[in-house]
Amino acid sequence: MNFTLKIWRQKSAKAAGRFVFYQVSGVSADMSFLEMLDLLNEGLIAKGEEPVAFDHDCREGICGMCSLVINGQAHGPDKNTTTCQLYMRRFKNGDTIIVEPFRARAFPTLRDLTVDRSAFDRIMAAGGFISTNTGSAPEANSVPVSKPKADAAMDAAACIGCGACVAACPNAAAMLFVAAKVSHMALLPQGQPERERRVLAMRKAMDEEGFGNCSNEYECEAACPKGISVSNIARLNREYARAALFFPDHAESGKS
Amino acid sequence: MRCLVDLLESSIAKKISVALAGILLVGFLAVHLAGNLFLLAGPQAFNGYAEHLANNPLLPAAEILLAALFLWHIAAALVARAQNRKARPHGYQGQRAKGGRTWGSRSMTATALLLLAFLIVHLKSFRFAPDRSDLYALVMKDFQNKYYVGFYVLAMGALALHLSHGIQSAFQTFGVNHPRYTPWIKRASVAAAVLLAAGFAFLPVWALVTGGAR
Amino acid sequence: MTLDAKVPSGPIEKKWDKHRFDLKLVNPANKRKYDILVVGTGLAGSSAAASLAQLGYNVKVFCLQDSPRRAHSIAAQGGINAAKNYPNDGDSVWRLFYDTVKGGDFRSREANVYRLAQISSSIIDQCVALGVPFAREYGGLLANRSFGGAQVSRTFYARGQTGQQLLLGAYSALIRQVGLGKVQMFTRREMLDLVVADGAARGIVCRNLVTGELEAYSGHAVLLCTGGYGNMFYLSTNAAASNVTATWRAYKRGAYFANPCFTQIHPTCIPVTGDHQSKLTLMSESLRNDGRVWVPRKKGDTRAPESIPEAERDYYLERKYPSFGNLVPRDVASRNAKQVIDEGRGVGTTKLAVYLDFADAIKRMGENAIREKYGNLFDMYEHITNENPYKTPMRIYPAVHYTMGGLWVDYNLMTTIPGLFCLGEANFSDHGSNRLGASALMQGLADGYFIIPYTLGGYLAQGALPEMGTDHPAFRQSENDARGRIDKILAVGGKQTPASFHKRLGAIMWDYCGMSRGETGLRKALAEIPKLREEFWNGVSVPGSGEEFNQTLERAGRVADFLEFSELVVKDALERRESCGGHFREESQTPDNEAKRDDANFSHVAAWRYQGAGAEPELCKEPLEFEHVHLAQRSYV
Repeated sequence: MNFTLKIWRQKSAKAAGRFVFYQVSGVSADMSFLEMLDLLNEGLIAKGEEPVAFDHDCREGICGMCSLVINGQAHGPDKNTTTCQLYMRRFKNGDTIIVEPFRARAFPTLRDLTVDRSAFDRIMAAGGFISTNTGSAPEANSVPVSKPKADAAMDAAACIGCGACVAACPNAAAMLFVAAKVSHMALLPQGQPERERRVLAMRKAMDEEGFGNCSNEYECEAACPKGISVSNIARLNREYARAALFFPDHAESGKS
Repeated sequence: MRCLVDLLESSIAKKISVALAGILLVGFLAVHLAGNLFLLAGPQAFNGYAEHLANNPLLPAAEILLAALFLWHIAAALVARAQNRKARPHGYQGQRAKGGRTWGSRSMTATALLLLAFLIVHLKSFRFAPDRSDLYALVMKDFQNKYYVGFYVLAMGALALHLSHGIQSAFQTFGVNHPRYTPWIKRASVAAAVLLAAGFAFLPVWALVTGGAR
Repeated sequence: MTLDAKVPSGPIEKKWDKHRFDLKLVNPANKRKYDILVVGTGLAGSSAAASLAQLGYNVKVFCLQDSPRRAHSIAAQGGINAAKNYPNDGDSVWRLFYDTVKGGDFRSREANVYRLAQISSSIIDQCVALGVPFAREYGGLLANRSFGGAQVSRTFYARGQTGQQLLLGAYSALIRQVGLGKVQMFTRREMLDLVVADGAARGIVCRNLVTGELEAYSGHAVLLCTGGYGNMFYLSTNAAASNVTATWRAYKRGAYFANPCFTQIHPTCIPVTGDHQSKLTLMSESLRNDGRVWVPRKKGDTRAPESIPEAERDYYLERKYPSFGNLVPRDVASRNAKQVIDEGRGVGTTKLAVYLDFADAIKRMGENAIREKYGNLFDMYEHITNENPYKTPMRIYPAVHYTMGGLWVDYNLMTTIPGLFCLGEANFSDHGSNRLGASALMQGLADGYFIIPYTLGGYLAQGALPEMGTDHPAFRQSENDARGRIDKILAVGGKQTPASFHKRLGAIMWDYCGMSRGETGLRKALAEIPKLREEFWNGVSVPGSGEEFNQTLERAGRVADFLEFSELVVKDALERRESCGGHFREESQTPDNEAKRDDANFSHVAAWRYQGAGAEPELCKEPLEFEHVHLAQRSYV
């Protein structure tokens, strides 16, 4: 198979970027999208040209490192997959494919198709945890957790932090990411002691990073490689309203 | 004032407030439509209803509240919109949806602008008309104008679209989302949006076609 | 030189308790005066950094991904073992200890393994408290499943994403300390050298992968938690960036490298489809419960599997191992697949696969029952291969996925360089020559949460380390060395890509030092690797400069280190003239082609000491004694 690629090239965070066209031939239908980019890069390196930078690591859809907006869709056209799980058989021979980085003010482009997603880490540092010191945990079975709740917590905890929700959101909002984390911990008994503080702090950190507002377009859910449901955003709204109305003083507690 | 600024500062509080104002406005529209239906019963009934309403001592307070709801709904949504634009300074080459967006959700800004224009015209022709002694005649005069009726129907189309997203979206914003009920909430809000808009649009069309109640 | 593992005296059950009491403590007020550098943020690194910061140390963590949460521990699927004995089926600390030593084919240190089994329970407690959503029974208590040959159910799991959930738990503990200001996080940094000054590890040099700048950091101790080196084989189940650079640099600064030839090869992976493949994907071992493994009897049979009659199929595992059949251990299943493929009976377009056939199971139980059990795996297979495994047999092939070898550490997890500790898969660890399923996660978290917080204190409390900043000459030295290597790579200006060399190295290693290793092949590898290395240094192409985001340069650096390291792996494999666990020497097998240990000559850890460029590394031995687990030959016939 042969493709024309229209790829965003940008030398550094500060440099201006532009689209560059590339031809790539000899692509097999069994190649993943990233392997197709490998093929392109191998050709560029052999010619002494700078290859296209893109993030990737596990290549099995779990690390959350790969990104890319392919023909206007985060992680490409397939549902419930990451870019590394997208195969070239999904495209027609001769197609022109537009490849862009995730775009959001909170995710500045570092080079070509790589972006800086450390905003997510900062949101997590604000409250995405249960404060348990090593060694002080009670016996694991001392607190039963109902199976449906544990399963729902697991559904939310499956988030890989790739940022596709932000990339796909028409407003570049990070609500699904934050909602997944808040839900995971709000559903478990272990998460209860910090329930109010967590949601207040994570909301604040999220807004400070410069993400957009949620307008319930649900593109995040549609683009999420782990199929995380927007019902988690409803839970986040609920958790936030409850905490902000009745426990506003919890916002600063727990910081030592 | 401080608390309003706080509301705008928090993305979630802001959207809850927009949704709350929106849902209250939907309630107002339902009452408004019920009032409009008096048109079908003829001039006496309609003018009688209008007079009754005008004499209610709570009306000024209600109007102020209504105006505040509209203003807040619009202002907060505008702030959000500005923040959203800032949140993605560099757009995509043809962003393609993956199945989340609807016609209603896509067109929220466009329908909002059209509705705002309609609201201004609407207030000017009825609420702030120089002579409101025979409101029925006033309404019927405009409703005989096919351009006015065209604009009215177009605006009601925008209302249907706006509410088809707005109503169900408000439920999500209030944290109501359940695998069993949410699909029904979505259907019901589309139905409510269409019914409401069709109810409003029916009257001018009816007036234009039949010349009004005899 | 003899290696002193510093195993405490006394009965094995009491060693760790006694040792914890004997270790000196650091006064809480003094802890904040110590800077600890943690390299790598997988299970071991994240849990160590979080636990040490909580104690009061100033911790700096480094990872090469854009977030600590992306370390490759995240990809572990199956589960984590612990001797909780919740199912009441006879498990105990002693049994977990016994299974692990035996599973490792008697090449691990008894005292370490016993401690691991002792700690295992606390790990589960800790993870649950951190919010890890483990699978539960309807009564709300934790669920267990059986795994990899153990006769008890001791594996805790979170769907097929146990590694992810455990890592996110450790990451949340780490990120909390970041928020509290006790941990400083340095992402997109790759450690390029270790700084050893006055005989102790005092810092690291790393490259900022975004700006290309070399950065030096000083500390009172360095923890390497940098994972395994399976990517040496080019194709493996490891993440693309997994590499040996950090531990290899430490080796060159004086840390001994132990048992580098111990690599584990997993039998059920989705096979290679073509030359462009960059990665192998693991399919859970549980598939072998219902699938039947076969190849055509005839060589070069190109018929579709459905049109090969029953009589012309060879169910070779069932034929050779009538009592275990398709459920033989990993190493045996892998080796036999290689054997039939080498005979020219491989299947698929590349001929590098065997069939895993569910037709009989579907006939027996119905398609729905199979979907219920393995639906997600079948979907994953279909997604990657575009073949429907309900209709046509799966094709599988073994793939490298774990390395038991690593930096030699004593009972305190300290390497032969004082102040340099090594945790998780990066150390030579507790798994001997073969790791049991669901034990990697257990070891990583044991090291990080529950061992290093004690043993690091013991080291720091021993005596005053002089204060030292990055202006010390040793830092200049390491920094210059690192810069020299980068400049050297950039100066080559050849025509071949780093990946092409990596691929060729992988082929050599897989062919001669993979699932089975013979003297002739190993010697051939020993001759070819230096040639390939020379070719690399004359022909590699790295466009761009060192002062920018340059992924080709990153790759080239890692490949350069693999090209050196692989030679040590082959030497170790050549030196160990016995078969044990994942290390199968063709010269040492039982009459039925099983791994045959030579306890008289090889009951030791082989630790290699660097003696300078061009000089032969010195082999140092740590003898292994088995007082509690009886040495026995494995048999599955």
